[in-house]
Amino acid sequence: MSRSAAVKTNKAASADLLLPNWLSRVVTLVLVVAVLVPVLYMLLMSLTPNQDVALGTISFAALELRNYAQMWSQAPLLSGLAHTFIIAGSSAIISVIVALLAAYPLTRFRFHGRQPFLAALIAVQTVPGTTLLLPLFAVISYIQTALSVHLIGTYWPMIVTYMTFGVPLSTWLLFSYMQTIPRELEEAALVDGCGRLGALRRVVVPLARPAIVVAFVFAFLVGWNDVLFASIFTNTKTQTLAIVIQRFSAGQATASLPLYGELMAAAVVSSLPVVVLYLIFQRHLTTGLSAGSMGGT
Amino acid sequence: MALTRSAQTEAGPTASTAAGPASRPNRMGPGTRFLRRLRDRPLWMLLPATVAIIVIILIPVAMTVWLSLLNVNVSTLRLFLAAPWHGLKNYIDAFTQPSVLGASLGKSILLSFAFSVGTTIVITPIGLFAAFAAHRRFTGRAVVRALYLVPYVLPTFVTGLVFRVMFTEKSGLIDQVLSSLGIISPKTYWLIGPHAFWAMLITEIWATWPFIYLMALAGLQAIPREHYEAAVLDGASYFRKLRHVVIPEIGGVMKLALLLSTLFHFGNFTLAYVMFSSPPPSSVEVLPIATYFNAFSSFDFGVAAAIAVVTMILLIVPAFIYIRATRISNLSV
Repeated sequence: MSRSAAVKTNKAASADLLLPNWLSRVVTLVLVVAVLVPVLYMLLMSLTPNQDVALGTISFAALELRNYAQMWSQAPLLSGLAHTFIIAGSSAIISVIVALLAAYPLTRFRFHGRQPFLAALIAVQTVPGTTLLLPLFAVISYIQTALSVHLIGTYWPMIVTYMTFGVPLSTWLLFSYMQTIPRELEEAALVDGCGRLGALRRVVVPLARPAIVVAFVFAFLVGWNDVLFASIFTNTKTQTLAIVIQRFSAGQATASLPLYGELMAAAVVSSLPVVVLYLIFQRHLTTGLSAGSMGGT
Repeated sequence: MALTRSAQTEAGPTASTAAGPASRPNRMGPGTRFLRRLRDRPLWMLLPATVAIIVIILIPVAMTVWLSLLNVNVSTLRLFLAAPWHGLKNYIDAFTQPSVLGASLGKSILLSFAFSVGTTIVITPIGLFAAFAAHRRFTGRAVVRALYLVPYVLPTFVTGLVFRVMFTEKSGLIDQVLSSLGIISPKTYWLIGPHAFWAMLITEIWATWPFIYLMALAGLQAIPREHYEAAVLDGASYFRKLRHVVIPEIGGVMKLALLLSTLFHFGNFTLAYVMFSSPPPSSVEVLPIATYFNAFSSFDFGVAAAIAVVTMILLIVPAFIYIRATRISNLSV
């Protein structure tokens, strides 16, 4: 290596150094351990027989997969999983469609109310979910009595609520992405007499696919992670995974032999899809977070 | 009719230049013109999002304010918005009478502030140092960066459960380790009584520091390389580099991050709900928990609505700052 090249790499490397090397190593080591301990403890407990977890005697020698087999019969996890997939999936699909429709005119036209609309997208994300739950519950009960229909215990209240909570972030993500798609690409479609809706569907949507996928993932996780609304809007027949696990754990607190091993196995199963999704999309995470991480809860 | 008129008022010169293909000579009747406007300048596309936000968020917010002034409990919920007028009595009750969990509104406000501001104060240095250390190149950096995301992306109901088991007296890891080190007396109850607040705070710190880290790292990556290199050429010390190059450049992002982080902790309902037995101890009765249990445990809907309104009032100033910050950086198209 020539001398100037060595100086250059040296300079480039030290430009990235914001802390002395030893301090960076200590910080990284401490944080990695702090992150890993609870995560590994969760995995370890999920592989330990219930009675050993309850006694606090966990040994690496007695690990077994039995919790993962038994938990399904202890709590309706499978139906919870199915309900969550249906509710979170359909609310995310509708959310992305609504957001696509909203993001398109926001990037292509100037009109009165454009800036307030964008500001409102941010503002509504600061409203805590607990302040909306009560009036939504009141409205739903009112409609139930007035029209004598059942809504609590159906998918609809949750689909509509999660869909709405997904819209601001999805719109914001798609809005930022669509600004990078040149308008000229749509012109051919417009000349062909497609109309704006046709141009959106045939030109913009295929090009915006990466942002659509990210928006879908974020909207899906709104429903997957929610406990607040699901705790009121579900009944025993429509409990989502989060609620099944929460009720399962509440039932164990007073049990003589709490099934914490199986509970941890259920926790692992319900976090795995989320962690995998986030790791795949980790590059987009910062955009999503800074655009508003408020969600409902 | 009203729709047609509003469509025509929009057809100003600025509008037609922006719409491009719409600016052609127009010899059609008003009906066709309206259809054509809908086609070429489809602002109707904003309707679904607008309706959803109004119906699910804005109207409920207005209803919460109204409900907080009515005498709504389980027997008058049927009357709903026509329930008897209660004036400010719900607010007075919320402040003067302890809830079903034992805390009054004043205590809940203090707990919420202590929880959200306390968490932010602790996670800020952790997140910053994590970002400084992860900014340099080293073997295994990709693995470390992915690992750092895990606490943040785990569903809150999972984090709450894991820490609930870890904080269990006698059998839990934290109790075992701390008591064997002699820091706490064995069989300390972390999940009930006054310690519960600290258990919840520690859990929130573990789960949310990566947010500050992510925002700080994004800020660091946005600094032009020349700025770092200039500092190196000047022979600036680490401290001077942080003080004079890094902190000024990531200051804007960090302010937004701290604000968002505080707002986020303020609204966290799920952690306290899943981490403790139901009903949770009064030491974790933060505002979302107070709202929820007043509404759905003691069915004092009016009092719950009053607590919700107080929560929103407390959030108005930070929310306003947040909107302004976003407006400056993003809205200029």
